[in-house]
Formats: sequence, C-alpha cells, structure tokens
Amino acid sequence: MNHEMELKLQAQLDGELSAAEAAEVDRLLQQDPAARALAAELKSTQAILLGNEIPRALPESPDFFWSKVQREIQRLEPAPARQRPPWLTWTFRLLAPAGLAALLAFMVWSPFSGGVQLAKMPAHAEIENPLDDASSITFRSETEGVTVFWVSTR
Amino acid sequence: MSKRIDYPSASDEVLVRNAQKGDMLAFEELVKRHRDKLYARAFSMVRNEDEAVDLSQEAWVKGWQRLKQFQGEASFLTWMTRIVINLCLDQLRKLKRLRSESIEQMDEETGGVERHMPVVNVNPTEGLERGELRERIDRALNQLSYAHRTVLILHEFEGLEYKEVAKRMECSIGTVMSRLFYARRKMAGLLAGLKQERNS
Repeated sequence: MNHEMELKLQAQLDGELSAAEAAEVDRLLQQDPAARALAAELKSTQAILLGNEIPRALPESPDFFWSKVQREIQRLEPAPARQRPPWLTWTFRLLAPAGLAALLAFMVWSPFSGGVQLAKMPAHAEIENPLDDASSITFRSETEGVTVFWVSTR
Repeated sequence: MSKRIDYPSASDEVLVRNAQKGDMLAFEELVKRHRDKLYARAFSMVRNEDEAVDLSQEAWVKGWQRLKQFQGEASFLTWMTRIVINLCLDQLRKLKRLRSESIEQMDEETGGVERHMPVVNVNPTEGLERGELRERIDRALNQLSYAHRTVLILHEFEGLEYKEVAKRMECSIGTVMSRLFYARRKMAGLLAGLKQERNS
C-alpha cells in the first residue's frame, strides 16, 4: 500500500472522500489485511481522543482575570468625542447674529444701559463682541452719522 | 438595557444580546462561564501557562470589540474558540513554531517512520480510569511537534474539515492530510507504549 492510499484510507475515516474514491478504498480494505489493520488503528486512535481532552482551569482568580479583561477593554475603548453635536453648531450659527443684534439694540435703547449714545461715540470706538464663535467689526461714519456693526460667524 | 436580567440564570443568547447593547455585566457573566474552556484551548495549542492566559485574555477583549459582528450562526463558545485559535495560530507563526523541521517535512511527504511503524492496537478503555486516560493523552500530545499537534487539535477536537484546517494553518490540504496521518500514527504508538509501560 503506498502513502497515497494510506491517506485515502484516513480520508475515508474522516468522511472526506468522493463516492468513487470511497469505493476504491472499500475494495482495498476487502483485499488487503494490512489496510484493514491500519484502518482499525486510525479508527481506535480517533475514538480514544474523542471527548478525552484534559480539562484545564484558568490558573488565575476569576475576579483578577476579569479585572484585567475589563481594564483592557476600557483602555482600548475610543474616547467620547468632545465636539459639540452638529445640530448645536448650526443653531448657534443661525442665532448668534440675531443675538448680537438684540444685544446692540438693548445697549442703544435700553433705559437701564445708560443709553449708549452711538452718535456720540468716537470714530475709533469698538463695540465689544462677547461671543467666541462670532467676530464683529464696528464702523462709524461721522459725516453720515451712522454706525455699522458687522457680525459674522466662524 | 430594556429590562433587568438575572445574569447567572440567563442563557448565553440573552447575555450576548445584552452585551451587544453595551451591558458589561452580561459580558462578565459570559467570561465567567467560558473562561476555563478558552484557556484550555489556548494551552493545548501553545503549551505554556502564561502565554495561554495572555492569549485567552486577548481573545475576550477581541470578543467584546467584535461582539456586534456575532450573528449567532454558531454558539457563542464556538465563536469565541475560533477567535482564540486564530490568536494562537498567529502567535505560533510569529514564533515560527509551526514550521516543520526539514527531516520532519520529508517524513511527512513520504510517510516517514510512522509509515513503517507496526500497526498497534489501542484500546481506549482497557483498564484505565477516564482521568488517567486523559492524562496519558495529554502527555502523548505534548510529545508531538506544534505543527502536528495543531492539526490534530483543529481536526479531532474542533471538528474542522481538511480545507478549513488548511486555510487556518496557511498550508495545502495535502500537507494537512500528511500531518494528520503522522500525528495519529505517532499518538497510537505513544499510547500503546504507555499501555505497555503500565502492564510491565
């Protein structure tokens, strides 16, 4: 019996042969006592291994093992994003100019603000912008008696 | 988490579903249930306690990260076992332990000494307690090379077909068949030898 036939004998035991190849092995088994003996050995070795793998317990305390797993999971977990959500960004962009305009109107006409008199402001005076996400430019024309306060969001 | 569950009595399926939603306690229960089996599989492949602990730990971390990919085609334990096997194979490849020595390689191709070894009669139950039998099998497995033991483990214990073993071990089906034949014949000889030792 050559090595190829030996491997076919084994493959038949493992159910890995086509019908034609299985028939060829069956013929060999009928004719050759050595083939039958080898098939019996392979079969009994397979049987002895099946279900007889030695069980093993983790050589660490369950809590310690879990704490290591948990720590590693947390270490690899992506950090939560610090950016503000997109809806908040858009809301801010839309409302910031309106908010600044309202603030300006309050400063000009409110009786509590002491009545910032824009007309009396010097040409170089700036209206302070309290918002981080918006920039502003103040322009005053003395001849026209007009002050322009330009707000843009970033 | 939609409702509270009793973790120790919940099925694996329920625990997996909860863990997939981010429930760490459900995942902890799964680890508690299957950690020994996963460690045992890792140990059987790498034959080193520290490496097996590290690899099984890594498998659990990977399991958590990939949990959403688990669709339940196989059991959770089978799925986790595949992860630990792949990690062990990577480790064995990295340490070049899966390479057969050149003489061994030649033996595999031609059938080697195992081919000419007389056929032995191995009776699995003859006069042996199950615990003793398992010890002997483990000792015999320990005498195989990494390459032969791995083929045997993947085929006999994990029930993988030749082509799946070949894919995982990155070799041909022919090599798997030769290695399996070599490993089985060597195991038969070793177990018969142990039996003779015991009888004499």
